Amino acid sequence: MSRPERLIDDNGRRVDGRRPDELRPIKMEVGVLDKSDGSAYVEFGGTKVIAAVFGPREAHPRHLALPDRAILNCRYHMTSFSVEERKPLGMTRREIELSKVIREALETVTFLEEFPRAAIDVYVEVIQADGGTRTAGLTAASLALADAGMPMADLIAAVAVGKVDGQLVLDLCDLEDKYGEADMPVAMAPRFNSIIMLQLNGRMSVEEFKRSLALAQKGISEIYHLQREALKKKFSELAPKEA
Amino acid sequence: MALTPKKDLTAKIMRDKIYSLLLQGKRIDGRRPTDLRPIKIETGLLSKAEGSALVSMGSTKILTGIKVEVGAPFPDRPDEGTFTVNAELLPLASASFEPGPPDERGIELARVVDRSLREGGVIDLKKLCLIEGEKVYVLFIDIYVLDYDGNYFDPSLISALAALATAKIPRYEIVDGKPQKTDEYFSLELNSLPFTATVGVIGEKFLLDPQLEEEKVLDVSLVVGADERGDITCVQKNSPGQIPIELMDSIIDAVIEKTGEIRRKFLQEVPVKLAGST
Amino acid sequence: MRGELGMPVYFTEHEIVVPGQLLSDNGKRSGEGTYAYAGKIYAARIGFASIRGNKVVVTPFKTAYKPAPGDWVVGIVSDVKPNGFEIDLGRHLKGVIRMPDREEVMSAGLNVGDVVYVRIKESGLSGVAIDKRSRIRRIESGILIQIHPAKVPRLIGRRGSMINMIKRITGCDIIVGKNGLIVINGPSPEAEFAAVKAIKMIEEEAHTSGLTERIEKLLRGLIGEG
Repeated sequence: MSRPERLIDDNGRRVDGRRPDELRPIKMEVGVLDKSDGSAYVEFGGTKVIAAVFGPREAHPRHLALPDRAILNCRYHMTSFSVEERKPLGMTRREIELSKVIREALETVTFLEEFPRAAIDVYVEVIQADGGTRTAGLTAASLALADAGMPMADLIAAVAVGKVDGQLVLDLCDLEDKYGEADMPVAMAPRFNSIIMLQLNGRMSVEEFKRSLALAQKGISEIYHLQREALKKKFSELAPKEA
Repeated sequence: MALTPKKDLTAKIMRDKIYSLLLQGKRIDGRRPTDLRPIKIETGLLSKAEGSALVSMGSTKILTGIKVEVGAPFPDRPDEGTFTVNAELLPLASASFEPGPPDERGIELARVVDRSLREGGVIDLKKLCLIEGEKVYVLFIDIYVLDYDGNYFDPSLISALAALATAKIPRYEIVDGKPQKTDEYFSLELNSLPFTATVGVIGEKFLLDPQLEEEKVLDVSLVVGADERGDITCVQKNSPGQIPIELMDSIIDAVIEKTGEIRRKFLQEVPVKLAGST
Repeated sequence: MRGELGMPVYFTEHEIVVPGQLLSDNGKRSGEGTYAYAGKIYAARIGFASIRGNKVVVTPFKTAYKPAPGDWVVGIVSDVKPNGFEIDLGRHLKGVIRMPDREEVMSAGLNVGDVVYVRIKESGLSGVAIDKRSRIRRIESGILIQIHPAKVPRLIGRRGSMINMIKRITGCDIIVGKNGLIVINGPSPEAEFAAVKAIKMIEEEAHTSGLTERIEKLLRGLIGEG
């Protein structure tokens, strides 16, 4: 796909018709897989991710286990057909980096001390990529951990903000990510108003950076609300079936 | 190098129970020995894949996507398009799948699906040629196991066929001797629909479509495929163990019957263009 | 809402709460499934919030089994060593039966793959020890299934009411391990299937009301009246 002439038109509409501070349509479903201990499916517009959690379980290899807490492993991975140009099998450097930052975010809010010598394994699989895959992945991973009954201080909600055609926008889609001036994935533990994951690719002024954080915060509180609804829905949906 | 894999710990009483039930023609989930689990097929769910299908057989879920590129043909088949099949047993799917490159199971799965498609001549590869000897359509069929409750072979093949049947291949035309993508798409005609039925043998009895608990206690596992003509299109004994040769006749009968059932379900759910049907 | 604790609580009894949800302003009363931070109590897991004793607790829907001394559990023998046995208690838990010498190990007559019903002696940083003085019962036959340990109390029911009803109507012998592993032995495959179905339904619907009636209806439908 080549760069569109403008990423934001004169009416302030983005390439997909959204206004700068609008999120894409978001879908969340908890408990979508049977064999994992917890799982979730999340869509942010055209980005579709599945997350699954196994744990607590025995750490492999054993010598990596920690005596006083669990280790958390995370793998962020994309299917070959999630992107325009087929992604060959195997882990790319980007996937390895994103696995790390997602893991660090999840470690921050999970009470790992409850499971000494154990491992918690988190897998994020991107089945369709349209921008914001790591933030959607982290949002899904957080839901999957909650679904698995993991003890956590808070859920993690995440979104990517950025700058396109000089304007700050919320929830970048793929085109905006590719052709914009800056892309900033942000994750927060909304209960504590704290930043759990933060990266910047591109450049912004200090003023823009501060405004972007505020914009991210606004998006994140909406996403957080959706996460809580999705979790409650799953467990209250198990209404009595007619025997 | 192939290593004996670390086996999942199995309770002996489960093997006894599953076998004694099988002697009475029953299974732990209430199925009869040759009953398949419910099959669900969903296609065209991914916009960046030229073809896609999500298939579930009971709780086992497989997602297949097809990507199309233009590339060089094989030197010995200059006028034919090419396809490759890859499969990954994602760690999401099971506590016993580890992250990493496909292990022997993933590679075996990919190759068995590949053989069913290739030897069965499912795709008319001659129709996928652009410039003979130089440029042909190259199909990548990538299979991902998302959730594993026994038997990934059968639903993997179903999802590969469903993805192929509903794929929208971007049409290329030759401009100045080079292939150029147009705005048009075409779909593939399939020459046949070879499905497989996975067979599990315990003692002198067998069952079809083993779920995970059954798989753990099988003496032998065997994948057998058949097409609409009743020809056997694929066989893979995929575990250690012995198959009493007297069982093979009834296994084949059961496979032909059940792959027919899968085919009927497939034709109901998937809009497939069969060659020679127009 | 002012709870028995005499301070505001921000939830209603049996409300589903999610991690990070604010439950109360009195950080000193944080119980199971909650944590205290800056003087307030928050939910640590997804589950039902309630007040138990004088603490705010969250009863989780899913939780890993935490072995406690005296618990009877079902496990599979996973290793035989010169000084004892290793028992797989499900998921990541392994229990150990220590035997003083090889003779005792041999005479115990346990092999890898045997299913046993044993009692937890203690559980701590050095692992889970199984009491070998209580009878180590080897289970000879049956269907082995696994449910979330958190659902076991609901499966048992108040004073055993639920599990006894299932046993009575199906005629099955059912051994329920606190770790969520269960063995069912019945007079017929149909009776066993009925018990399995009932147990799986309880696992799904443990937190709903009217469950006992629905289970009874299910079982009568599968087994027949009388």
